[in-house]
Amino acid sequence: MSTSEVVQPHRTKTLRRPVGYAPRRWKRALPLYFMLLPTLAYLMVLTYYPLVHAVVISMQDFNLIGNRPFVGLKNYENVLSDPNFWGDFRNTLVLGVSILTIGFVAPIVIALSLNEVLQTWLKRSVQMVIYLPHLFSWVVVGGLWIQLLAPAGGLVNAVLAVFGVSPVQFMSDPQVARWVIILVSVWKDVGFNCIIYLAGIVGINPSLYESARVDGANRWQEMRHITLPGLARTMQVVGLLSIMGVLRIFDQIFVMRNAVIEPKVNVLMTYVYDEGFQQMNIGQATASALLILVFTLVLTIFTRRLIRYDT
Amino acid sequence: MKKSQLIALVSTPALAGLILGCATVPHNVSASTNSAGAAEVNVKSAAATEPTLTIAEGVIGGKTPQENQAFANAIGAALHCKVKLISVPSTDNYDQQLMTMLGAGQKIDVVYTEGSTLAELAQKGEVTNLQSEIEKSKVLGNPKVVPQWEWNNIKLSSPNGKGIYAVPVKYQGALMPIVRQDWMKQLGLSQPKTLNQYYNVFEEFKKKENAYGLTLSSLYDIEPFMSAVGLKNGYVEHNGKLTIPYATNAAVPVYAWLHKLYANGLLDPNFVTNSTADERNEFLSGRVGMFVYWDAWVPMLNNLASTQGAAASFDAEALPPALGPNGKGLVSKGDTSVFAIPSNAPNKALAFKFLEWWNTKPGEILGSLGVKGIDYTVSNGKYKLTSTGIDENMDHGDPEPISSEWKNPFPSLQKGYANARAIGIKYGYQPLINANWNNAEQIVWQYGDDAILGRLTPQQAVEEMHAALLKDKYISQ
Amino acid sequence: MRHRWTSGRVIFAGLNIVFLLLIASTMIIPLWNAVAVSLSSNFGSMASGILMWPRHFSFSGYRTIWTVLDLWQPFENSVIVSVIGTLLHVLLCAMAGYALAQPELPGRRVMITLILISMMIPFESIMIPFYVTIQELGLLNTLVALILTGLVSGFSILLMRNFFQSIPQEIMESARMDGAGHFRIFFRMCLPLSTAGLATVALIEFVGRWNNLLATVLLISDSSKETLQVALNGMVNQGSSTSSGDLVTNNVKMAGIIIAIVPLVFVYPFAQKYFVKGIFLGGNKE
Repeated sequence: MSTSEVVQPHRTKTLRRPVGYAPRRWKRALPLYFMLLPTLAYLMVLTYYPLVHAVVISMQDFNLIGNRPFVGLKNYENVLSDPNFWGDFRNTLVLGVSILTIGFVAPIVIALSLNEVLQTWLKRSVQMVIYLPHLFSWVVVGGLWIQLLAPAGGLVNAVLAVFGVSPVQFMSDPQVARWVIILVSVWKDVGFNCIIYLAGIVGINPSLYESARVDGANRWQEMRHITLPGLARTMQVVGLLSIMGVLRIFDQIFVMRNAVIEPKVNVLMTYVYDEGFQQMNIGQATASALLILVFTLVLTIFTRRLIRYDT
Repeated sequence: MKKSQLIALVSTPALAGLILGCATVPHNVSASTNSAGAAEVNVKSAAATEPTLTIAEGVIGGKTPQENQAFANAIGAALHCKVKLISVPSTDNYDQQLMTMLGAGQKIDVVYTEGSTLAELAQKGEVTNLQSEIEKSKVLGNPKVVPQWEWNNIKLSSPNGKGIYAVPVKYQGALMPIVRQDWMKQLGLSQPKTLNQYYNVFEEFKKKENAYGLTLSSLYDIEPFMSAVGLKNGYVEHNGKLTIPYATNAAVPVYAWLHKLYANGLLDPNFVTNSTADERNEFLSGRVGMFVYWDAWVPMLNNLASTQGAAASFDAEALPPALGPNGKGLVSKGDTSVFAIPSNAPNKALAFKFLEWWNTKPGEILGSLGVKGIDYTVSNGKYKLTSTGIDENMDHGDPEPISSEWKNPFPSLQKGYANARAIGIKYGYQPLINANWNNAEQIVWQYGDDAILGRLTPQQAVEEMHAALLKDKYISQ
Repeated sequence: MRHRWTSGRVIFAGLNIVFLLLIASTMIIPLWNAVAVSLSSNFGSMASGILMWPRHFSFSGYRTIWTVLDLWQPFENSVIVSVIGTLLHVLLCAMAGYALAQPELPGRRVMITLILISMMIPFESIMIPFYVTIQELGLLNTLVALILTGLVSGFSILLMRNFFQSIPQEIMESARMDGAGHFRIFFRMCLPLSTAGLATVALIEFVGRWNNLLATVLLISDSSKETLQVALNGMVNQGSSTSSGDLVTNNVKMAGIIIAIVPLVFVYPFAQKYFVKGIFLGGNKE
């Protein structure tokens, strides 16, 4: 782990002060520690303590009050032999990979398309509008779409009916519902990612386009050979952020699922929640959460290696 | 901002967190004994003044914290004590929350719960056996107030069927078809008795009223139609073996019938994901002509329709279930909702007094009409509902008290109830449910929905349903 | 642009605009529809057919929300948690960021490492021990627990630190020469010079808190402490009023949704700029 994970702005040279007596240095730093105290307290009590506690809980038959006998690795065994866990694991992969792929391509396409629009007012307006859903909570977005997709009285089916399509059971056919989850997820963030790309496009050196034009390149070639390569770094940032998000999907499923589609849309985080707070198998739920945490860390390290975010 | 103020502001929560964290973290096991000690102190000091009655509930009381407070005060005024109402939103698993509170050693005097959870609580010794007190009680021991069959239902939850661990909260009622009687009259239709006759009614509704005939909430409410083939909801025990009737071949004709409704546009296609609240809305707004719901809701629907501006002619009426060839019918009754007294309740005598009071007239008025001055007013012995009272529809946890001596002071607001209650009493039964049922039910619904939607033939659906239930050992054969 | 307008290009530009309008309409129409439904009468909103204009114009949806369902309480809780939580978050993260920007702070690397590691632990993955900790602190069912959740974050701290590091050291040096202490420098100089950073952190945090669902779902079971998102989820998506006599028709649901997005509309004009800034400066959130 290195500090270079954070994009550092150009730092002005720090004037190094002559180091005085060690005690004086500490005394001088005292207010600084004071400023850090709440942060450190939070990290200790509400991040690291729970993390360590999780390891303990995951090896207990945990009750909120009362006996908490140690059961060794039994909880882990239960998780790994639970078909629901693997089912939810598969769902997470399917949903995750689909959301990543579509969610990666769509905003680039839209950004490039927006970039071709010459009317500034139109460009602005579209940009403003498609960015809206990113600000809304999943309760709002889920609520809107469940309503829109209802077989009777839903906007989408009403539009389909005009084309003579009979009502589609969007939220109660597990296979269809999966696609709904994927597309609504992409829909929510496409505008935001698109704006990041637009910011990236603005940052591309204009002289590259100038010289390409001198060489007689057409718009398509410009896009293909200058704009897209120029966005490579932005793609890395967006890609990395999306990958980190995939294993954390929770709110969307929590809001949009129903009993019929659950087997096909439940994900790892809903597994943890259901196991822990519905079934009250707290030990087993914690064990599964730790396994997921390990997946996450492996995935993070792997992708960071792969796309070298810090270069 | 001054530096010192700022430091105080910033460091307080964090420091408090640290100190609390250090103090409590190593002591979680002893926490229960600590809180037990605290509660004893509480009782001692309370004895000098007024005791506090703590009630955990998910359905009684008003709509807002203020109303709940007024509701609690009203109980306190009647019983000469303080009342603390712990309201758990009925949304997510009240039962789990209750278990957590009891497990955490929280001191509660009265808990609201339902039959299936009561069984678990009684089994674990978490609640008190009230049988001898009930027998001695002038109120609860009176069969006119609580008829014997209610006690029999509650006894189903007692370990080995011995003892009575709870007192009913309300008359639970049954799920039955509720129809737009005004449409029936207008179209000159007579009361349907068989599945075919029901089908014709739906068809007329669609043709003439441009509405769906029926809406459902998945398979939650198909019992009045399964009734046509004499199948019960939940489990049935036969020679010590458990089966689920909905997952047997006998159910095939009903799934086929439901699929026919769906395919012909007579069944609301939203049925798979509908909540019962959705069903009510569709019914009230005239989008469907029939749904299946609680008897107590017949008058409530009629009242809502008139206060909320539904069609002027709106008239909801309960129907008997579809009858089998032998002329018999079935409607399922709700899981008994009850009050129980936890074993570690600090004020057991007071708690029991509350249970008695709840089944006397003042208690029944509070549980139905609500709080005097907020939900209703009385002048010269005549009751009048306020606008809040009208909005809340005379349901504060006990819309239809059990006692045969109970008379609702607003007979005009009870339109259709007598008929509905009679249907529940005539055809009602208590479904047999065990700890596996929630999971089993999900399987039944899943394949049942597939059959209705036509993704599977009814025959296939039942076969796969049966196989899935067998595989997960929810049934034994 | 200085390309020639061939007919092919005109067609492309036209199609391109149609494509974009189509995309934008998937965002606008649902919202428009929600507004129209929310302003319809109870049964007007339930009748079949699609509403693009209120049917039987009425505020009864909003009235039901405030008076009957009393969504005012959850709304108030959400405001308290979001505003206080955001203010504390910004202040604490800025202080930590300032401290960590000081090169002479002993133990700086250790603390930065602690913060970086914490950033790799998603909240969701420690939700259960987090719940247990809050229970041990005796804070279940309190708004304090919600404010405490995410009180500081590595992302905000590092973002603020980057901001403070970009302030020329000479300015601070001269203040130090005048005998100003760290608190004075922090409040009088660094904060005023970092408004963009503070705004970025505050906006991201406010929106995140306003929209937060999981913390309330986990930590609150008392309905009087519920936040708007949870109350709304119960009402809109779970049909939770099953046991009560409330009539939650579509106009009521949509009125709830509109109410939940109104505060975001106020932040919206600033959000775009600062959110993007946040991504590039902090480089790491969600």
